[in-house]
Amino acid sequence: MSNDLYKIISKVFSISESKISSESGPANIESWDSFNGLVLIDELENHFNVKFTISEIIDVKNVADIKRHLKNHNVDLNG
Amino acid sequence: MTLSKNLDDLKFDKKLKVAILPSFTLNGLDETFHVKCSEIGIRYQSYVADYNQYNQEILNPESDFYNFSPDITFLILDIRSLLGDYFYFPYSISSAERKSLVKEKINELENLILQFKNNSSSKLVITNFNIPSYSPNGIIETKSEFGFHEMIQEMNKSLRNIAKSQNSTYVFDFNQFVSKYGEKNIFDYKQFHIGDIQIAFNYIPYFAHELMSYVKPMFGINRKCIVLDLDNTLWGGVVGEDGFDGIELGQTPNGKSFVEFQKHLLSLWQQGIILAINSKNNFDDAMRVIRDHPDMILREKHFASIQINWNDKAQNLKQIADEINIGLSSIVFFDDDKLNQERIKQEFPEVLTIEIPNDPSQYSSILTNLNDFNVLQKTEEDTKRGEMYAQQRQRKQFENTVSNLDQFLKQLDIKVKIKKSNEFLIPRISQLTLKTNQFNLTTRRYQEEEIRKFSKDENFAVGCAQVLDKFGDNGITGAYIVKKNGTSWILDTFLLSCRIIGRGVENAMLSHILKDAKNNGIEEFKAEFISTPKNKPAENFLLEFGFKKQDQFWIYNLNNDIKSPNYLKVEIE
Repeated sequence: MSNDLYKIISKVFSISESKISSESGPANIESWDSFNGLVLIDELENHFNVKFTISEIIDVKNVADIKRHLKNHNVDLNG
Repeated sequence: MTLSKNLDDLKFDKKLKVAILPSFTLNGLDETFHVKCSEIGIRYQSYVADYNQYNQEILNPESDFYNFSPDITFLILDIRSLLGDYFYFPYSISSAERKSLVKEKINELENLILQFKNNSSSKLVITNFNIPSYSPNGIIETKSEFGFHEMIQEMNKSLRNIAKSQNSTYVFDFNQFVSKYGEKNIFDYKQFHIGDIQIAFNYIPYFAHELMSYVKPMFGINRKCIVLDLDNTLWGGVVGEDGFDGIELGQTPNGKSFVEFQKHLLSLWQQGIILAINSKNNFDDAMRVIRDHPDMILREKHFASIQINWNDKAQNLKQIADEINIGLSSIVFFDDDKLNQERIKQEFPEVLTIEIPNDPSQYSSILTNLNDFNVLQKTEEDTKRGEMYAQQRQRKQFENTVSNLDQFLKQLDIKVKIKKSNEFLIPRISQLTLKTNQFNLTTRRYQEEEIRKFSKDENFAVGCAQVLDKFGDNGITGAYIVKKNGTSWILDTFLLSCRIIGRGVENAMLSHILKDAKNNGIEEFKAEFISTPKNKPAENFLLEFGFKKQDQFWIYNLNNDIKSPNYLKVEIE
């Protein structure tokens, strides 16, 4: 499932999966602007069948935050 | 989205400049347009105004938007920003105040549209407003005096009237778009509050698809003809095996699906779409159904070409295109058989081959979802096209009974009415320049606005020809533009719709122009032939008429006799 997350991030920002880590975020991925950030949220919601709250969305600073929020929605990324 | 940045579209010679003026965040629309234009061979350039800057862009004649000089502009407004707080509190004011508010907003919009028209020759597409399903008045909303929903309806109605009174101005029915896909899907509060996004991402491609309907006909790349299979396409089952009484048409759930599909096809035929049959069948079995089956909606008279035989489908399709004389790129192919679909896709990629699910109940929605039949204006000729092609079949039958061509032409009683361009004729003349490929000396494409400009300019003569014969009215089927340069006239455009080529109409039309030149004391009359892959039928016309080649031009000596076919009756209006 963690693989799925990276695949989606790689697709949305057009970067290779190998360049993605927990620390990846708007600060170090150039194509991660506010709009593409929203596209990512939309893709994640559809893929994992969850609905994030606005607070969760604006709280995201890096991939680790996304993992944390997905976990709160009972998405098992290690499964 | 990133795909659009990697497109190699410099090779396309069709170019389109699109301006997008949104009142809310509309990222993604630009990129989607770019991709969709590339798919149909159009090089796309765009100008996207910052959000909610549309007023400044339109009201300032020096704005970057006008400097960009778009071919088409999409003005995409939303009702929230327009009504402001009254969107939430419509009942905080009286019904009279609501009325004057709506009037004020409409005046603003009208002024905006007029300013736009004054400063730009771009086509304008403006979206109307979504009527929210919610009202603070609940179930008595429909009883309210000039209520919230009625306010927006009134604005939509006024917008439609403004667009009707303006050339090249169109209203995109956004309210209907929202009903089609659902308010709950289109409007996502989360996206709205995070980024003022009022059309959810997932629906941007659908939105772009609908707006592309305006782009396709600007390049004459709309489809004109639907070629249909019979078994399991127009009816269920195989008539050769199941028999006349065994096919599914009319009574059963599947049978009803086929009837519904045929009704939609007939309604397109009534709007000028040509229908043809391409079927592997015994001719007599299939024709018996078409002629005699009580639940058949489409009959023999609706089809411009009927190919029912055991030949290869691709060969039949070519035959149909030749017979009705239209390009393969004007054709949509409907056939339930996957193998046939593949065959046509490979042989003729320019044909739009529809992928059809194995369920006839879906046929109608597939057909009605196509945005390939749109035209930006509908002339009388367009709506009569189906009928005209039926007359054409009769002409061919008549031709076969007459021994020689001269005899045939004499007996056709052809009448050519030559008309000067006027407001009613401008859309048709523009349409002819956009669509005519074969008998076209220069293939110059002109939008309506350009034809309107030429028509007003005394340095141009713009005209057209209506052709009638004993079988009916062919409509306006020829057009010309002459550029007057002092004592030298140049034939800028000269064309004839392919269905009347070879009846001397072209000679009558050119004779008229030359006589006009002579009467005006013109010394030099020049014409051009610009060769394209499609205009071979016009290649030798100037030479045969008596023009002499001189450098890249063809010159006619106006001291020579100007001849016109004597079997034609010519009227100048």
